[in-house]
Amino acid sequence: MVDATYSPRPMRFKIRNLRLWLPLLWIVTLIIAAVFAPIFAPHDPLAQDLMLERLPPFFIDGSEPGHLLGTDSLGRDVLSRMIYGARIALFVSVIAAFSTGIFGSTLGLIAGYYGGWWDRVISRLVDIWMAFPPVLFAVLLVAVIGTGLTSVIFAIALIDWTRFARVIRAETMVQAQMDYVDSARIGGARRMATLLSEILPNVLPSIIALLALEMGIAVIVEAILSFVNLSISSDDPTWGSMISEGRGAIHFAWWVLLFPLIALFLTVLSFSTLGEGLKKQFDPVLK
Amino acid sequence: MNNLHAKTLDIINLNVTLPNGHRLLRDVSLSLDPGEVRALVGESGAGKSMIGKAVLGILPTGISISQGEILLEGTHLNALTPATRRKTIAQTSALIPQDPLTALNPVRKIGPQITDPLTRIHGWTKARALARTRELLDRVHIRNPDRVLNSYPHELSGGMRQRILIAAAFAPSPRLIVADEPTTALDVTVQKEILRLIRELQRETGTGVLFVTHDMGVVAKISQKVTVLFGGRVVEDAPTHRIFENPEHAYTRALIAATPTPNASTEPFRPVPPALIAELHREIQADDDRFSKRAHR
Repeated sequence: MVDATYSPRPMRFKIRNLRLWLPLLWIVTLIIAAVFAPIFAPHDPLAQDLMLERLPPFFIDGSEPGHLLGTDSLGRDVLSRMIYGARIALFVSVIAAFSTGIFGSTLGLIAGYYGGWWDRVISRLVDIWMAFPPVLFAVLLVAVIGTGLTSVIFAIALIDWTRFARVIRAETMVQAQMDYVDSARIGGARRMATLLSEILPNVLPSIIALLALEMGIAVIVEAILSFVNLSISSDDPTWGSMISEGRGAIHFAWWVLLFPLIALFLTVLSFSTLGEGLKKQFDPVLK
Repeated sequence: MNNLHAKTLDIINLNVTLPNGHRLLRDVSLSLDPGEVRALVGESGAGKSMIGKAVLGILPTGISISQGEILLEGTHLNALTPATRRKTIAQTSALIPQDPLTALNPVRKIGPQITDPLTRIHGWTKARALARTRELLDRVHIRNPDRVLNSYPHELSGGMRQRILIAAAFAPSPRLIVADEPTTALDVTVQKEILRLIRELQRETGTGVLFVTHDMGVVAKISQKVTVLFGGRVVEDAPTHRIFENPEHAYTRALIAATPTPNASTEPFRPVPPALIAELHREIQADDDRFSKRAHR
């Protein structure tokens, strides 16, 4: 029912919304930590101190007050390395997800709306692409084009654009069937204008949801590539390389492995939960 | 450029085909004088909507015009480049769609959806477009036009949306409106009101209307001429009074007989006889055979 004093309903605090707020809280914390890393990190992430190697975290006997989450086998502070690692993880996830999203969604929109040969070529390309095992493909790609953050971002975008292309193509096809698209065309709108102003806003919630999901995936892929030493140089602190180093010392210094793993897990979980929550929040009809 | 004495719409031997060569419209010819309402009737799949889509240039991908001519205000649409054709159609025609629930973009406010074509194609100023839109919303009995213009489609009822779509279609005073079963998705009480509005506005603006329907009751109320279709073929084309008083074709008679009446308890429902439908399908088959022979020669 429509009443005369319509105003958007205020966002109510519900369990459903908790699924939106908790991930957001974690991600915002991470962003603040990453941006102000030099302020928050208690130590230089690269400073080694062989006198203080493998110190346990604060809640275990034998810990040192300055090292909250302990130190690794070279005496580097785990918390500081995690905070600096968040910088790299977030940087990669944002840039990679947006490049992947823009590239994949553009192809998806074109295939879904223009149809015909456009659709045939793009869809077959997606099929071929998805036949490659993604992680192997990424490792191979980075091995060929060289290591480094740019290569990692490039590899993610080049491999995962199919996720966007597939979903956005399907959504575009659904929207293109709607009468309002015909109406816009009869109203004299060009095809490109119809696509951008009529169809794109309707598929935007899906793009945003995928974008959040993709950020989580990018964090994992970066960690995997760091783990096998194909990302940034091994001196730089990344969660992946910390996990890789911690793996060897798991029996006597489990904290070096566990804390970055928890950070990684929470970040990926937050991004995907956030994606789902945002999709619902943005959809005027679902809301 | 346009001939002032031209018919609003003239369709000559129109054939619309699927990519596999199957014809959806078979040599359809019809014309529409300025200010005239022509009903297109027939059962589902008879090609009623396809005619409107062909005229407005919104045939679904893959479906195309394989033969025939469409003249809009005396202009041969086939002879134009796609861009000019789109512009010509936009300047002269409008659509009242079947389903008011999908005909408005759910993420855009109503206002710009109505005024955009007016400023874009007709070159009106924003103020003029808005004034005209308010005037028409008032004509279709929308009490609070400013609030409606600021609403999203899902905030309004189906009947309200259909009235908005009628206002949007008539706003630029187009020469031709294709009304594609505009009352099918609405309940009966709203239907009557919608028909009355279309009739009123059509008389005022002198717009020619191609009214697609399967409801013979609606045909009697709104149209001056009727085209009866079956299987993409014109079965009968006659003034409305003649269709009801003296239908020539057996299928037209069967369609009229099949219209339910209020005293259904005393008069049994009489569907179109299967023998007649089989006969019509045989005619279509024969026609297709001739067509393919013609094509392969």
